[in-house]
Amino acid sequence: MPLASLLVSTSDGPWGSGLDRVSSSEDSLRNLSPLQWKSGPVVSLGWSAEEELLCVQEDGAVLVYGLHGDFRRHFSMGNEVLQNRVLDARIFHTEFGSGVAILTGAHRFTLSANVGDLKLRRMPEVPGLQSAPSCWTALCQDRVAHILLAVGPDLYLLDHAACSAVTPPGLAPGVSSFLQMAVSFTYRHLALFTDTGYIWMGTASLKEKLCEFNCNIRAPPKQMVWCSRPRSKERAVVVAWERRLMVVGDAPESIQFVLDEDSYLVPELDGVRIFSHSTHEFLHEVPAASEEIFKIASMAPGALLLEAQKEYEKESQKADEYLREIQELGQLTQAVQQCIEAAGHEHQPDMQKSLLRAASFGKCFLDRFPPDSFVHMCQDLRVLNAVRDYHIGIPLTYSQYKQLTIQVLLDRLVLRRLYPLAIQICEYLRLPEVQGVSRILAHWACYKVQQKDVSDEDVARAINQKLGDTPGVSYSDIAARAYGCGRTELAIKLLEYEPRSGEQVPLLLKMKRSKLALSKAIESGDTDLVFTVLLHLKNELNRGDFFMTLRNQPMALSLYRQFCKHQELETLKDLYNQDDNHQELGSFHIRASYAAEERIEGRVAALQTAADAFYKAKNEFAAKATEDQMRLLRLQRRLEDELGGQFLDLSLHDTVTTLILGGHNKRAEQLARDFRIPDKRLWWLKLTALADLEDWEELEKFSKSKKSPIGYLPFVEICMKQHNKYEAKKYASRVGPEQKVKALLLVGDVAQAADVAIEHRNEAELSLVLSHCTGATDGATADKIQRARAQAQKK
Amino acid sequence: MAFPHRPDAPELPDFSMLKRLARDQLIYLLEQLPGKKDLFIEADLMSPLDRIANVSILKIVLLGQTPHQEYAIHCHFMHVRWCLRKRESMEEGDQRWINTVAQALHLLSTLYGPFPNCYGIGRCAKMAYELWRNLEEEEDGETKGRRPEIGHIFLLDRDVDFVTALCSQVVYEGLVDDTFRIKCGSVDFGPEVTSCDKSLKVLLNAEDKVFNEIRNEHFSNVFGFLSQKARNLQAQYDRRRGMDIKQMKNFVSQELKGLKQEHRLLSLHIGACESIMKKKTKQDFQELIKTEHALLEGFNIRESTSYIEEHIDRQVSPIESLRLMCLLSITENGLIPKDYRSLKTQYLQSYGPEHLLTFSNLRRAGLLTEQAPGDTLTAVESKVSKLVTDKAAGKITDAFSSLAKRSNFRAISKKLNLIPRVDGEYDLKVPRDMAYVFSGAYVPLSCRIIEQVLERRSWQGLDEVVRLLNCSDFAFTDMTKEDKASSESLRLILVVFLGGCTFSEISALRFLGREKGYRFIFLTTAVTNSARLMEAMSEVKA
Repeated sequence: MPLASLLVSTSDGPWGSGLDRVSSSEDSLRNLSPLQWKSGPVVSLGWSAEEELLCVQEDGAVLVYGLHGDFRRHFSMGNEVLQNRVLDARIFHTEFGSGVAILTGAHRFTLSANVGDLKLRRMPEVPGLQSAPSCWTALCQDRVAHILLAVGPDLYLLDHAACSAVTPPGLAPGVSSFLQMAVSFTYRHLALFTDTGYIWMGTASLKEKLCEFNCNIRAPPKQMVWCSRPRSKERAVVVAWERRLMVVGDAPESIQFVLDEDSYLVPELDGVRIFSHSTHEFLHEVPAASEEIFKIASMAPGALLLEAQKEYEKESQKADEYLREIQELGQLTQAVQQCIEAAGHEHQPDMQKSLLRAASFGKCFLDRFPPDSFVHMCQDLRVLNAVRDYHIGIPLTYSQYKQLTIQVLLDRLVLRRLYPLAIQICEYLRLPEVQGVSRILAHWACYKVQQKDVSDEDVARAINQKLGDTPGVSYSDIAARAYGCGRTELAIKLLEYEPRSGEQVPLLLKMKRSKLALSKAIESGDTDLVFTVLLHLKNELNRGDFFMTLRNQPMALSLYRQFCKHQELETLKDLYNQDDNHQELGSFHIRASYAAEERIEGRVAALQTAADAFYKAKNEFAAKATEDQMRLLRLQRRLEDELGGQFLDLSLHDTVTTLILGGHNKRAEQLARDFRIPDKRLWWLKLTALADLEDWEELEKFSKSKKSPIGYLPFVEICMKQHNKYEAKKYASRVGPEQKVKALLLVGDVAQAADVAIEHRNEAELSLVLSHCTGATDGATADKIQRARAQAQKK
Repeated sequence: MAFPHRPDAPELPDFSMLKRLARDQLIYLLEQLPGKKDLFIEADLMSPLDRIANVSILKIVLLGQTPHQEYAIHCHFMHVRWCLRKRESMEEGDQRWINTVAQALHLLSTLYGPFPNCYGIGRCAKMAYELWRNLEEEEDGETKGRRPEIGHIFLLDRDVDFVTALCSQVVYEGLVDDTFRIKCGSVDFGPEVTSCDKSLKVLLNAEDKVFNEIRNEHFSNVFGFLSQKARNLQAQYDRRRGMDIKQMKNFVSQELKGLKQEHRLLSLHIGACESIMKKKTKQDFQELIKTEHALLEGFNIRESTSYIEEHIDRQVSPIESLRLMCLLSITENGLIPKDYRSLKTQYLQSYGPEHLLTFSNLRRAGLLTEQAPGDTLTAVESKVSKLVTDKAAGKITDAFSSLAKRSNFRAISKKLNLIPRVDGEYDLKVPRDMAYVFSGAYVPLSCRIIEQVLERRSWQGLDEVVRLLNCSDFAFTDMTKEDKASSESLRLILVVFLGGCTFSEISALRFLGREKGYRFIFLTTAVTNSARLMEAMSEVKA
């Protein structure tokens, strides 16, 4: 929509601009010109999809300006260009954004498919190219940008890997050079103009010819563009010479117009805009509805309805006749629809009104006509007329508006700082606040913070007054903008209005208010955020300050400890040291004794440090246990030296077991005494170890060494576990009376178990034995028990 | 007997929405990065990821053109995050997942409307609740005017009740979890269960008809149920005999597949039962349960302590020993200093010195502590013990501790009647209260609290319990006068366990729901059990 012009060359964005805007464009031009003189000659101008003006200079520098003539940034198209200069440049649009392609003095091409994410791609050389191509263009196919160029009678396609010669199918013979080429809006079609005055139209892939036309004009055209015809889907190309405009397509005849002034063509979604010094015209296919209604002597229902309404206003009875005619054909609904549709394509409010009035008139005679289309058209036209006003200068067609969507239109208004109009439109269309009013207010606020002549307090207050607690407004975004303009204090003030503390954190960090950021992060409860701030703080502050900061924030401290446990063990130690947390220090060194240290001396030393720390922490138990472990470790080392085998890192229990299993009973006894292993444990331990060895003799000897502190049932159990019934029976007899029955059952002596149980007169034991009686073999025993039971009950 | 829902049980809201949402989010994240992607997924992440998006979906998303790009995805799913963080959060007692819970609740309230009644207990519960409220306030307007679909929400902090989580589980699903470890709703049955040489990953949910009928059952009933089921199945197979061709065709095309499927599941669960039985008898499971019950009821403490000591001396299992020690500590309000020292010493001798750190972790979490002096008559006891033999001293200790200040758990247990008085055998086939999940010996504290609060619709009258739980500052109720809530929705209760819940608790609440006509929905940071709890605390030598 915006228009930029430069002394000689003119270029334009994807959308044409209202003529009425030219003057304001000139304002920005005036700002720009001195800069250009300083920076060197400009080869090409163009608008990016974000409505930024791209000025490609001869030295390969691309200067980017905002819509208001404000300098944004610049980038270079490569060092190579500095020497060779830019001969020609094109700005094109892809699905990724806007791209720039240049042709250098060395006849090489360089392009960037997206200036937002600049990646320069130097295209391969065209073999034998000595002079500039007669014409060229950037093409976009399969998401990759190519260059198509014409040298004499040959066409070449450049992709990033290779240069390949291409031939358009069905090209008329006798072509010695191509004078112009044009790619359609969607990159789907290509048109070539040859020096024989012949126009070839086909697909951009050069695989298929669509049609051709011979205009017999050999003069090179000034411009050639595709004209989209959304209705008929047919192809048409508009060719312009100095004073002549020709529309050609798949027809033997062309349509010709005379141009009164120097003109410039801009292809658009549904037509072509033609700009000249004093006029702005739009060449497009007449929409179906408009044609039906306004065709001379049209009898289409819409035309009749329009006529009927006019007669009705004149209070003539002809109105009725027309209406009757439509109704008789049963076409009233269609008539209303036609009038509504045609209204959309009209640019003059008067004509829009009369068409809508006709539609409204027709609707009265219909029972059930859904009102949506009528209401929406009225709304859309109101919005369109508002933006088409010459103060605003966005002359969109109805189809363009629909394609663009209201959201994008609002964005463009915001970009032009037309906040009040944007808000009025939102309110008029009743858009939800989050998408509408509050979004625009947020943009306004972002603009507001850039007004450097207003004090921080005033700006903050003004913004808060307007925005209040409007849902969907992010104060932190506005604050970020303020910070971007170098207004840190204002940013902090604005952040105070932000209700979500988590949102404040990233900006506070950026502004180096890390401590504030930390408390906000903690407030938000989002631990990920706290971590982010912590890592930031850690790099920013010196160690002492950092620890002090943590000290005042218990939650952060606990999180940081967690981090250190996994990442920085040394820091963890320092943290504990700072807090005199001897208990944790002790634990730290214990862990170090087996995780960090390898040599035995180092391990013992770590344990000693741990023990000292535990004493300081008044944890005598842990200190003693640690000292025991030091002793054990040294001893294990000695055992390894003397006996071989693996002892280090075994628990005390396992050390003794290993000794017994290795047959070093004396050593085992000594160790048990040294470490005061309780009798019970020692018995369990020996019992298990000897049974594992199946050293039944030693086991028996052991069992008789003194009275077992764990009883004799475990002996029975363990023998049975090793399936040694013979040995088990030996011990069963020694089991104390309380567990006797159990032991006898274990060795399978049901009969004796029954006897003991009866002797004990113990009901529980009796049922236990009974449950072990199986089938015929124990039948007698079962009977015996039953009898004993009965007897017991009698008593 | 299975637990069919009562015919009048309220319908659940559409929870498949959550799954779709998570899947769409994943796909969205992946599509943010253009081109073909090689995805490296940590083994731990596979199960949770599988629940929301299986491999075929990922394949579709990942199709692209440019090779040589490798991305590790950063998952944003609450479930995944919770799985990863569980261990760490247990260790430090920090509350990193609280924010995640708050966000999850916020998501639920935007999807299913506001919750008219909120209750909660515990520090984390309160923190999560407050964060959640903040989130709602920031984005108010979204849930306004929505009709609530879920009438109650109850937030419960695991800290409030460690006892239940420390008990051995005896309902089927809990036992399967204790024995085989259920991960994200599926379990790997090893060769000993599948009776072939391959392991099998089985999804355990309501789709599995056999499992669904036994998951909440006490284990003692399961075998009987399964064999009855097997007989029924056989009978259905047997119907084939005497069928004419047409009937046979019908049978094969319509019933056979279902029968075969049922057959397969049945043999799997029978295999699982056998395997459980084998393991449980080997470890003297009955003895263990007896000790646990004694600890819960608070009698024969000396005997239980000796049992634990023997357990340690025999190196039965480091995790089990630790669990029993913790259970003893919590039920007794800490160990008496003598036991505290000697059990720890024994443990270190059996399992290695690195467990000094384990004890430090446990003490910090309050799971294994020493009674403060004055709590019991330790001084007197130790003097007496010098005069008499060990055994006698034990008896005296028991006598003294019954006189001394009762531990909080005992007092709570009495107040809330957690140990049901049983006249004769507790009939596990026809459970009469939630205690059936622990063989009738103990009503899970967490579930009892929920039951009581729901009954009163507030904490009123529970002041003493709250005080005993040391949660005076962390028990809250929030009721909005919401006329829009239908009576149907008021019988739906979302229970949020912060810090994990056990399958036993789920079974117990399902039972409660059946009795009272409620329907419970569970949201938890993790499904836990005693072993997971202890492992998280245990120091492992790398």
